[in-house]
Amino acid sequence: MKLIELQIINKEYKLGQTQVYALKDVSLSFDKGEFTAVWGPSGSGKTTLLNMIGTIDEPCSGTILINGKDVSKMSDNQKSDYRNNQIGFIFQNFNLIPVLSAVENVMLPLQIRNVKTTIAKEKSMERLKQVGLEHLANNRPDKMSGGQRQRVAIARALVTDPEVVIADEPTANLDLATSINIIEIMQELNKKDQATFLFSTHDQRLLDRMNRRVKLEDGHVV
Amino acid sequence: MNQLTQWIKIAFRNILKSKRRTMVTLMAVGFGFASISLFQGYIHSIYEGLRASAIHGSGIGHLTLYAKGWQAHGKSDPEAYMISGKEIEKISRLALNNEHVTLASPRLSISGLVSNGKNSTIFIATGVVPEHERAVKAEFFDFQPIKGKPLDSKNDFGVEMANGLAKQLELVPGNDGVIMGATLEGQMNAMDINISGTYNTGVADTNDKFIKVPFSFAQSFYDTQKADSIVILLDHWQHTDLVMQQLTDTLASAGIEVEIKTWKELSVFYKSVRNMFDMIFLFIFVIVFIIVIMSTTNTMGMAVVERTREIGTLRALGLKRRGVTLLFAAEGGLLGFTGCLFGLSMHTLVWAIISYVNPSYTPPGNSTPVPLIVNFLPASIAQLIFFMTLLALLSAIVPARRAAKQNVVQSLTHV
Repeated sequence: MKLIELQIINKEYKLGQTQVYALKDVSLSFDKGEFTAVWGPSGSGKTTLLNMIGTIDEPCSGTILINGKDVSKMSDNQKSDYRNNQIGFIFQNFNLIPVLSAVENVMLPLQIRNVKTTIAKEKSMERLKQVGLEHLANNRPDKMSGGQRQRVAIARALVTDPEVVIADEPTANLDLATSINIIEIMQELNKKDQATFLFSTHDQRLLDRMNRRVKLEDGHVV
Repeated sequence: MNQLTQWIKIAFRNILKSKRRTMVTLMAVGFGFASISLFQGYIHSIYEGLRASAIHGSGIGHLTLYAKGWQAHGKSDPEAYMISGKEIEKISRLALNNEHVTLASPRLSISGLVSNGKNSTIFIATGVVPEHERAVKAEFFDFQPIKGKPLDSKNDFGVEMANGLAKQLELVPGNDGVIMGATLEGQMNAMDINISGTYNTGVADTNDKFIKVPFSFAQSFYDTQKADSIVILLDHWQHTDLVMQQLTDTLASAGIEVEIKTWKELSVFYKSVRNMFDMIFLFIFVIVFIIVIMSTTNTMGMAVVERTREIGTLRALGLKRRGVTLLFAAEGGLLGFTGCLFGLSMHTLVWAIISYVNPSYTPPGNSTPVPLIVNFLPASIAQLIFFMTLLALLSAIVPARRAAKQNVVQSLTHV
């Protein structure tokens, strides 16, 4: 059984009088442990596709199966639990909570799950160590560089040991050296944790390091 | 619990982050809290004063017993509805058996004309047992000082006359006068009086009419052995309703039919002033209520807009809608609680200044100034803190629910 299966997914928006297709008849599947990039030009539907896999967006038609389970049949609370337990998100703008320190940001998904604070902290420190930021554990995001923030976001995405890590343009706001460093960290964690990494990107440096590339153009898989 | 601690931590740090906005909200809640709690302390002291004035100052005690029918028919046929000498003794004995009753004292009100030999004017007098007066008057015994001597059971004709009346008749302690009126049988009667002392009733309307005479003197004036009422004093005013019920039962089972009125029922002034202050309090409370709701809702509404992307992130990380609601409601509650603490410090400061300066004022209808007192009421303050915190928390629910309902994708792309 595939980890993720998308069956004839369609997503359309109404822009004024015009019907715009974000995704059209997309059928795809992903196995456990994949390190895959969904790429293509802006507006090709990369982010929409990943949002659907991450259960924060819904298709207009089609089925998404994760571990054989149809996500469209889940309630909002079930989806929240699923995201908390099985999905790790890495955002283009890092999306760290500004009033929390690095370690507190990493602890968040565990605390949403109501894990004991001491255990959550211990685990979060481990993840911060893996991304090389244990010395900045008590710093708030505004005292960190872009690369450091993204590494905190990676630690946060992995702290719950998710099956799938969804990274939406994770290197878009980073310089070359930092981007390569971030990519290497994610590759290493992919190998170590066997988590499935799904990226949306049009960054060639990232694409070169991918096991698999899925190209989207105008909502179609090319 | 871990989750709640984390939400409170986030809420607290967000409150500190938006300093100016937080300050405005804290001021609104704080001033509202201080105004309510100070006014509450002020009217509490007024109620306390009015209660003491009714029970002790006007001498109606905590309970007043009348013979059954006195209230309805006592004016037209007083003798038929008065309490006989035997009943006075029996009622007093039974009443004093109650653990909360400290005194039972008979009364007889008389009225007529009082003269200094040249001029005369109307008077209203109450016949009281001189030995009981210090207990009945309590703190008012000193508050309404007597010029001359108080009533004395050894001086059968010695009376206390209100200042205004004494002034009108140009009588001073030591002078003699005469009172005239009809007995219960309808015969004219006149008795000599000796002004043993003068006093201030505290109220302009009564200060030119009142006389206090010994109970036995009043009985002689009306040519009767009866009393029109028995005043009951209790160990604490809060036992009033309880003792009223107990006495009603005790006296009924002893075959004595009485009407018992509480000090609240008899003091029309207390009731009307209390109603007025309760209405003012409600008015202030509603204004503060609206201010707290509006300022908290506004602050939290702005916080929701500013932190839309944060909400999207938390939802993407798996926080449920009710978790988002709880997060923002906790922030509203914390804002309310901190505002209350700020208000409490203002309250304490103002209370301390008032206690130190000890200002006084003359209320309408009073002949003497009264001190402005604000009582410090820990239990009421705690209740108010709880209520206003809850109010702020509930005010944050509306924007919090709006935040929770936001579309996750739209929240994440919010600029």
